[in-house]
This record gives sequence, C-alpha cells and structure tokens, in this order.
Amino acid sequence: MKKYTLKRIGTSLFTLLAILLVLFILMHLMPGSPFNDEKLNDDQRTVLYEKYGLDQPVPVQFVKYVGNMLRGDMGVSYNISKNTPILQLIESRLPISIRIGGCAVLIGAVAGLLLGLLAALKHDTIWDSLATVISVIGVSVPSYVFALALSYYFGFKLRWFPMLFSADTLFKSSVLPSVSLSMFTMASIARFTRSEMLEVLGSDYMLLAESKGVSGPALIFRHALRNALIPIITVLAPLIVDLMTGSLVVEKIFSIPGVGSLLVNAIQSNDYNVVIALSFIYSAMYIGIMLVVDILYGIIDPRIRLAKKGD
Amino acid sequence: MKKKVAVAAEATAAYIPVDTDFKWKENAGDISIDENFVAQNFWHDVFVRFFRKTSAVIGLLLIILITVFAIIGPGMNDFGYSDQYLSQKNFAPRVKALEKFGIFDGTETMKTTTGKTQVNYYQEKDMNDLYYWFGSDNFGRDIWTRTWSGARVSLIIAVAAALIDMIIGMSYGLISGYFGGKTDMLMQRFLEVANGIPRLVIVTLLLLVLKPGMLTIIFALMLTEWVGMSRIARAEMLKLKEQEFVLASRTLGANSFFIIFKEVLPNIIGPIITQVMFSIPTAIFTEAFLSFVGLGIPVPQCSLGSLISDGFNSFTTHSYQIIPPIIVMALLMLSFNLVADGLREALDPKLKEM
Amino acid sequence: MKRKKMTLAILLACSMMAGLVGCGGSDTAEAPADASGTEEASAEGAEGVSGEDLKVMIETPVESIDPQIGQDGTSFEVIADFTDGLMQMDADGQAVPAIAESYEVSDDGLTYTFHLREDAKWSNGTQVTAADFVFGWQRAVDPNNASEYSYMLSDIGQVKNAAEIIAGEKDKSELGVTAVDDTTLQVELNVPVSYFLSLMYFPTYYPVNEEFYNSCGDTFATSPETTLANGAFVLDSYEPAATSIHLSKNPDYYDADKVQLAGLSYQVIQDSQQALMSYQAGDLDTTLINGEQVDQVKDDPEFLSIGAGYMWYLSPNVRDVPELANLNIRKAMTMAIDREAITNDVLKDGSTPTYTAVPPQFAAGPDGSDFSEDQTKFSDVCTYDTAKAVEYWEKGLEELGVSEITLDMVLDADDAPQKVAQVLKEQWETTLPGLTLNLVVEPKKQRLQDMQEGNFQIGLTRWGPDYADPMTYLGMWVTDNSNNYGFWSNADYDAIIAECTTGDLCTDPEGRWAKLYEAEQIVMDEAVIFPLYTQCNAEMLSSKVTGVEYHPVALNRVYKNAVKAE
Repeated sequence: MKKYTLKRIGTSLFTLLAILLVLFILMHLMPGSPFNDEKLNDDQRTVLYEKYGLDQPVPVQFVKYVGNMLRGDMGVSYNISKNTPILQLIESRLPISIRIGGCAVLIGAVAGLLLGLLAALKHDTIWDSLATVISVIGVSVPSYVFALALSYYFGFKLRWFPMLFSADTLFKSSVLPSVSLSMFTMASIARFTRSEMLEVLGSDYMLLAESKGVSGPALIFRHALRNALIPIITVLAPLIVDLMTGSLVVEKIFSIPGVGSLLVNAIQSNDYNVVIALSFIYSAMYIGIMLVVDILYGIIDPRIRLAKKGD
Repeated sequence: MKKKVAVAAEATAAYIPVDTDFKWKENAGDISIDENFVAQNFWHDVFVRFFRKTSAVIGLLLIILITVFAIIGPGMNDFGYSDQYLSQKNFAPRVKALEKFGIFDGTETMKTTTGKTQVNYYQEKDMNDLYYWFGSDNFGRDIWTRTWSGARVSLIIAVAAALIDMIIGMSYGLISGYFGGKTDMLMQRFLEVANGIPRLVIVTLLLLVLKPGMLTIIFALMLTEWVGMSRIARAEMLKLKEQEFVLASRTLGANSFFIIFKEVLPNIIGPIITQVMFSIPTAIFTEAFLSFVGLGIPVPQCSLGSLISDGFNSFTTHSYQIIPPIIVMALLMLSFNLVADGLREALDPKLKEM
Repeated sequence: MKRKKMTLAILLACSMMAGLVGCGGSDTAEAPADASGTEEASAEGAEGVSGEDLKVMIETPVESIDPQIGQDGTSFEVIADFTDGLMQMDADGQAVPAIAESYEVSDDGLTYTFHLREDAKWSNGTQVTAADFVFGWQRAVDPNNASEYSYMLSDIGQVKNAAEIIAGEKDKSELGVTAVDDTTLQVELNVPVSYFLSLMYFPTYYPVNEEFYNSCGDTFATSPETTLANGAFVLDSYEPAATSIHLSKNPDYYDADKVQLAGLSYQVIQDSQQALMSYQAGDLDTTLINGEQVDQVKDDPEFLSIGAGYMWYLSPNVRDVPELANLNIRKAMTMAIDREAITNDVLKDGSTPTYTAVPPQFAAGPDGSDFSEDQTKFSDVCTYDTAKAVEYWEKGLEELGVSEITLDMVLDADDAPQKVAQVLKEQWETTLPGLTLNLVVEPKKQRLQDMQEGNFQIGLTRWGPDYADPMTYLGMWVTDNSNNYGFWSNADYDAIIAECTTGDLCTDPEGRWAKLYEAEQIVMDEAVIFPLYTQCNAEMLSSKVTGVEYHPVALNRVYKNAVKAE
C-alpha cells in the first residue's frame, strides 16, 4: 500500500512537470504577443521582450521558469495587471473562487443527492421524471442566462440579495453566484445518485438487509446510500476542481474578483505567466484531488485496492 | 495484480502462433456466429425496454422534431439567415393565425427607465403585410430563420464532435486497456497530462491558431471530450479481456486488431452509445460557452449559442429575441439527456428487474 | 470493512462541515478586515466635507496605477484621481496650472520653465518637488522600465535626449529636464512643440517621489500602501486587477476646498445588464450601457452620450493586396458605406459618422476652430453615394480585369466591431456587384499582430487621440510607421508631416495648420483609410451628480469638481 501511494505521488509529480512543459509550448504557439498594442512600436517591443526574457529560446525560458518557481517566484503579469507578481494576483483571487466554488459544490451535492434519492426511490413514477427534468433544466439553460435571470428576479426585483459581489456583504453576495454555479453539479450528482442507488437497491445484500427486518430510513441511508456514495465521490472530485478554479461566466456577471475571468482575460491578452500559473494551479489541484481520492479508496475499501492494482 | 496481468500478457504473447501453424478458415464470419445471435436478441430487448420508457420516447420525438425543423425551418419563409433590413429591426413576433387573439401580434411592451411603453413597429412603420414569426433582431434579421439555422449548426457541430471523439476516445481506451503494461502506463500518463490542462486553454488556443469556423470548433470540442470516452472504453476492455470468448478468439489465431474491434467492441457498444448521447449536449453547451467568450462560430453565421449570447444584450429590452434559441437549446439538452438516460437503462441488464 | 466505511462517512461529513464553515463561518471573520479600509476611509472623508462617495462603474479592471506603466484609459482615469501633474485639464480640455503655479516659455519655444507651488504635498507629508518630476520623467524613458508611452516624451513631446535614452544611446540622467531648485523645473525641447503644455496632464508626465519609490522596492504602485497621492483623492482600497477600488478625498490637497466629493468608489462590471440594473437600484451613480439598452433609456434625462475620442476606420492593405492597391476599388468601397445606418441603427450609442481622416471635436486650431468640424469637405471622395460607388467599382474591376473580388476583413472579437462588420458586409455585398467579404474574427492582440505584419486584407481598427493635435492621427500614415497598417507610402505626405513635426512650421501655427489640411487631403484622396465613425459611449449619470468633466483625450473623466447632491 505504502509503495503504491509513493509510486502514485511520484507519477503525479512527473505528470505535473510534463503539464508545465506542455503549457509552456502551447503558450509559445499562441499567435499574437503580450505586447501588441496600437501604441507600441517595434523598438519598444524588442525592449519589452528583452526585459521579460521572452527573447530567449523556449527551453532556456522553461528551465529558468521552473527554477524560479521552485523558489516561489512565478513571474509577473505583462498585461492584466502590469508588473504585479503572479503570486500576489493569485493570493487575492483564489480564495474568493474557492469560497464561491465550495459553496456551489455543497449546494449542488446536497440538492443533487436529494433529487437523485427521490428519483431512485420512486423509480419509473412521475417523481422520477420530475426529478430528472428538474435536474436537467439546471444545465439546459446556459449559465449566463441563468445567472442573469437569478440576478434580475432575486437581486433587482425582490432585492433579496445583492446583484454584485462585494467583500462587505460576503455571505449575502455569494448566494446568487453559488446557486448559479451549483446547477451543473446538482444535475450530475442527481443523475449518478439515481443510477447508483438503483443498482444498490437491486443488489442481494439489500434484499438480505430487508429480510433481516431493516426498513425505512435506516435501510436507505445506512445501507443503500452509503454504498452508493463511493462512485458519487468519483464524479464529484473533478467537479470540485472545476468549480473552485472559478467560472468565467458567473464571475463576469456578478463582478467577482476570482481566477476564472482572470484566466480568460490572460489568454486573450497573451499574458503568458498568468495563463501558465493559473493553468498549473488548476492541474495541480486536479491531480492532487485525484490522488487523494485514489489513495483514500485504497485505504477504505480493500476491494477497490485490488481493482486499482489490476488497472 | 498489475504484475500478474503483465505476466499473463507475456505468456499469451508467447503462445501466439506463427502463420504457418494454422490455416485461416475461409469463412471468418463463423467465428462470431454466437455473438451475432446474442447481439440480435440483446438489441431487440434494448429496443423494447427503451420504448417502454415514456420519457425516453418523448425525448426521441423532440430530437426528431427539432432536427426536422433545423432542416426545413430556415426555408419556411423568404428570409435568409444573414439578410439585414435595418429599417425593420427589433420587430416583435407576429404570426398570422394568432394575431387575432391578441398574442403574437407584433406588439411589445418596453420597460424603459421612464415608464412602460407599448409599441407595434409593424403598424408604426406601416408594414402590415410583414410577418416575423419569432420577431426580428437588432439588424432586422428574421429570428425564426436564424433560430433554425442556428439549431442546424449546433446539431452538426455537436453530433460531429461526439462521433469523432467516440472514435478517437474509444480506440484509445480499447487499445490502452487491451495491451496493458507499459503501453497502458504511457497512454494513461499522456491522458493525465492532456486532462490536467484546463480545457479552456486548449480550446481557445486551437481556435486562435486555426481559422475560425465550424470545422475548427468541431475539432476543438473533439479534443476535449475524448478523455471521458476513452476511460469508459478502457474500463470495459479491462473487464472483458479476461473473458473466455477473447481467449477463444486468440487461440483461434485472431490478431489484436481483430480482437479489439471485432470481438470486444460489439460488446461495449452500449455504454459507448450512452456516453455519446451524453456528450452531445455537453458539446452544444461548450459551443455556447465559446460563443459567450467570443470564440464561437464567426458572424454572420449563427449557432444556438451565438444567438443566445447575441440576444443576451437585449435580455432586458427585447426579451423575445433570446427566448426562441433558449427554448430550442433547452429542449435539445433535455431530450438528449432523456434519451441517454433511457438508453442506459435499456442497455444495462442489471436494472432489468427493477 | 464496516469500520472502514464508517471512516469514509466521517471523512465525508468532515469535509462537508469544512465546506459549510468555509461558506458561512469565516465570512464574519474576514468581512471586517476587508471592510475596515473603507470604514476608515469614509471616516476620514467625513472630516473635510459632508458629501457622499461617487459610485462609478468601469468596464475593465485597472491595469496599473503606476503613472509611467499604465496605458489604458481606465488606468489613466484612476491615476489622475490621486495624482496631479504640472498641468491639469479644465472642463474644456485646456491645460491649466496644477502643481505648476506658473510657467515661462523661452522665445524660441525650446525651453519651458515651470514654477511649482509650495503647498503641494504628497500624502506622506513631503513636498512635491521638481526632483519628483525629473525622477518620474526619467522613469518614463528608462529602457529598463520599457514604458509603453515613452514616445510621449520622445516623438510627441520632443524632450531633449528622450529618443536617445529610449534607444539606449544615452544615460537617463541626460534627459532634458532639470530641477533648478525644489520649485523650479526646466525642460528643454529639440523643437518647439505647440501643444507641449497639454501633454503635462498626461499621466506619463506625472511625478514620482524617488525616496518613496525606493522604499517600496519592486512593489511600487501595487497597493494603497505603496502609492503616494498628491491629487484630489487618496487611494485607500486597491488590489491588482481588483473589481472594486476606493478613493477618498485628500484633506492635504492644495485645492481641497474645491473638492466636494467625500470619495470615489469604482466598481468593475463587465456585464452591461448588471450595470444598468445596479444603476437603477441606486448602487451606481454613473454607468456605461450598451447600444441595445439605449432603447430602454433614450427618453431618460439621465442618459448621456459622451464622446470617447476613438475613431474607427478600415485600413485596406494597399501593398500586398492587388485589388486594394487599385484606387478606384478603394474609392468605391468607401463610398458604398452607409455610415449613418451604422451609427443610428446598429450602434445607437450616439457615435457620429466620420468622413475625415482626423475625427472632429478634439483638436482646436490656432483660431480656436475644430480641425474637422466640416465633415463634408471631402464629400467628393468620402460620402455615401451608391451610384458613384458602383461607377468607381466597375472602373476598378475593368482595370484589374476581373469580375469578382473576394476579400477577408479582420476584426476584434468584441461586440461593437462584430456588429459594424456584419453591416459592412451586407452593405458592400448588396451595393458592389461581385464583391464577397469574409469576416475573420480574432482577439485584439492577434488582430493587431496580423495587421502589423501585413497578414491581412482589410482591417477594422480604431485609434484614440493621445494629445489635442491632428498629428496624433496624421502621424500614423507616414512611411514605415508601425500604425500605418496599409503600408501606404507617399513622399509628399511624408515631407509635409516632417515639416510639421520637426521642421520650420513648428513655430508657425497657422502655416502648420494649413499644411496639416493638405496632408489630410492626400490621405482622403488616396483613400488610404475608410473612416467610419467617432465613438461615443452611452452612459447614465444620476441627476444628483453634476460637474463630472468628460474629455475625449488622455483623461476621459475628471471628478475633481464633481458634486453629488444629498
């Protein structure tokens, strides 16, 4: 087990390095340059390229970048916020994205579980269809329309929640963005809960439990749901990363200073360091969470440990 | 376990006979006779189970309906999707048969900051013979025509992307799972790297490097969706490759290619199709997102996504402009999801008794 | 195994709890910390005046609050809120003394002597001295800083030795600006520059306190603590690329009596629907809106259409595209554009059709008249006339010996350019038989690169004036200028521009003005560019607010004299 864990960590680190390299190459394939502005002439551009070391060959830049990163320096922004260290940018923005994403995951997971349970327990009835429809509607309308509609009714018309994110009313102003973000999670979780529950409910040990006289909520929650949860976590893990690393759409509409809109702006303005740093954080979180999930499974369920080794 | 698999693979590799050891049977089809029989029966079951589920049938009907409209809709009136009549911009919906009932009569109520006003541009501009069924947009283009040609574009993009990523992802997963060992390890690491980079970065980059257009979008969508498909294919392959029919086929001298695509593939087509059905709505959605970022289908062409993000700016002024594409998109998403759910249940024998 | 499952359940529960706490709990812990800045601010503001904060919407985050590094309109606006230069803009855009109490110009127009006021203080209490200006200006031309607006000192301002320093040929200490004493600043120019005083309100020319700068190290101008104010307001809440910025009134400002606002609070809102709703809900005092929303507010007295200065134009690539090298084709194309329809029916934000190479309303001549007030002066070459357009078109096709032309047009992936391009496509394709136009939508950085490298056929682009002189436009079309996207070259034209920039005409404003008209005539006759429209922004400004000054050049909005009624 220990060996497996160590090996997993090792490959993960290697993967991260590979990702960094790919990101670097991708950035240099990108057309345009960070210093394309009407007001800049060629000489100034050359000066800027020299200043930021962009005139050197890509391998040299890569080695330098990795070296700097190990010392905790991820470079400075070229465009988005000129000459600001990337770490400073991320430090102020990532926590906000994580908070809103975290709330969204929570809302989505709870609502999704409930909907999925309802659908599974009342399989093939009107409730089942209703739950499916509700869970799908959330993802059927593009999130920007959904976010704007929420903001219009609950923010503008009813004045229940502020329309824009603000640090002063952190809790209240996180509600609408979190709800709009949670829709996709809710739908996915609902769908998976439903199918997993159906599978579990049809299994022999449920029959056994039932014949032993267990019934009602105890049967569903203690026996069925707990067994259905493992695959659900597998689905949830990447969703958590997606949500925590911010969403362009929701951030744009609610004026949230998160990392999602930062990434998109950075891509469009060729702010290489910002793109690389944010993508790298995303990858690290993604791979990290996958690693944790994997190792947790191994510890928790011997059957999975065996299967994992078989993979 | 991992080691054991590797050993087994080596062992079997050692058993692979050379050409001269065996003679190929003339009729290669014989090998899979059994399977064909099973498959037919299985698909018949699936068919029956699927059509027993009302929601799935409704979903299928909706998909067919929208597809039909996407084909014939743009031709149903005289407007082209990019014809602009700047003098006829922002006309509210007006339909001949319905205007008598006071709905769809070209009247719209505008909420301005100085109060509500009711306008009917058809009467105001004296164009009483004009009918924009879904209204006209801010360039004076017919929204009916644009909605259906947008649906056409979105469907083509989504279906093409889903099919291509099915082929790529499936082959990748099957090959990775079948060969196992070092090959699998390498292929999985590559997949991890590909998956670890945020989609948005890859997609925008592609759209920047290649010429913007439908093909580029299909290509970009395909690149981001194949990973899920390959995971499923690989998992199924791992499940199946130890089974007797694979061993039998191998003993009979079938090569790896034959086993992967002729023996195993037909057995996992169920989950694959389900996954394709799920990836179509995802593709439609991703395309909509790209439109929102400004990297969607180039103007004046339109997709459902670009129509929604265009109409988005008029959301609070002329809301009728955004409603048709949203409804069509929502219905498409819903019905693809319903059909996918139905298919999955129909294909999964474990759920049969429920 | 059962126990292990329990562990999982507990782990799960814990993680969920952690999530909950993250959502609700820490909220209370963090909010006061964040809010403290603003609370302090309002308390501070309350001492001086009883006014309220002016709540302003901005579309994009501020790129930099470093005066020598910032380069976009939003950054300039915020920098100018808390920094004063030698001069500032009055309501009409004229340069009036600010930190400089008075100035003298030598007879040959080559030496400017500014006398600084003694009561101008930085927000840390030190006096604003001539040395601060020297340091700031040297930063602007220092190649190590690679300031993007360094050409404001070299090409535009013609400050002595600026160009050589930027090119790395001389040390920055040789810049033609000297602090004679604490309150006297002397500037030497290469040639007389008629609009030199109006450059003094441009942020690149703002002072920076050397001692303070050195004490901040690399972090200068990245937070309120690393920023010094000498203007009407003091920055008190700012983070890099923040979505909200707060400034409060500067009690130590030399002109503090005139400042009525308690503070300014900026909010970045990228979505115009949200912006209008927030405005209607009273969360904003002024906001930008998009063209579609104008329908909703056009009868509202609070609706304004503010000139933004930018002129949008099409640049045909006359060097590399044989069809566009043909003058008749170019004339036909510019005459087939219905500019009125573009501004009135599509943009709707008050933008005005433009038929001259220099847009109206930013450059006033020696006699005070607007350089481009008469928009019909080139009506023989630039107007909307489909019959003439077709005539030219057919002549052009005949000369080229073709019957059909297909052209690609590059444009930005933004809302307005895409709208305009769609109309252009339709107008051209209906008016000019045999023309097919393909639209190539690209992000701005890429579009600019394509145009600078000549990798395009027609480009839709814009240019905002940097200073109040026609040269900010006309200077673009000289041979080899990096903004001469079409690679057009004309020796006569180059000669006129050289004469007006560094030649004899520098000291003869009337003669120079007349020559500039000649230059513009050449550009229009040759259809080097197809001017489209001069951009206006549709804005809402609460009726409670008065005194906000709008300018198309350099500083788009100035709040020093703004008043917000209770």
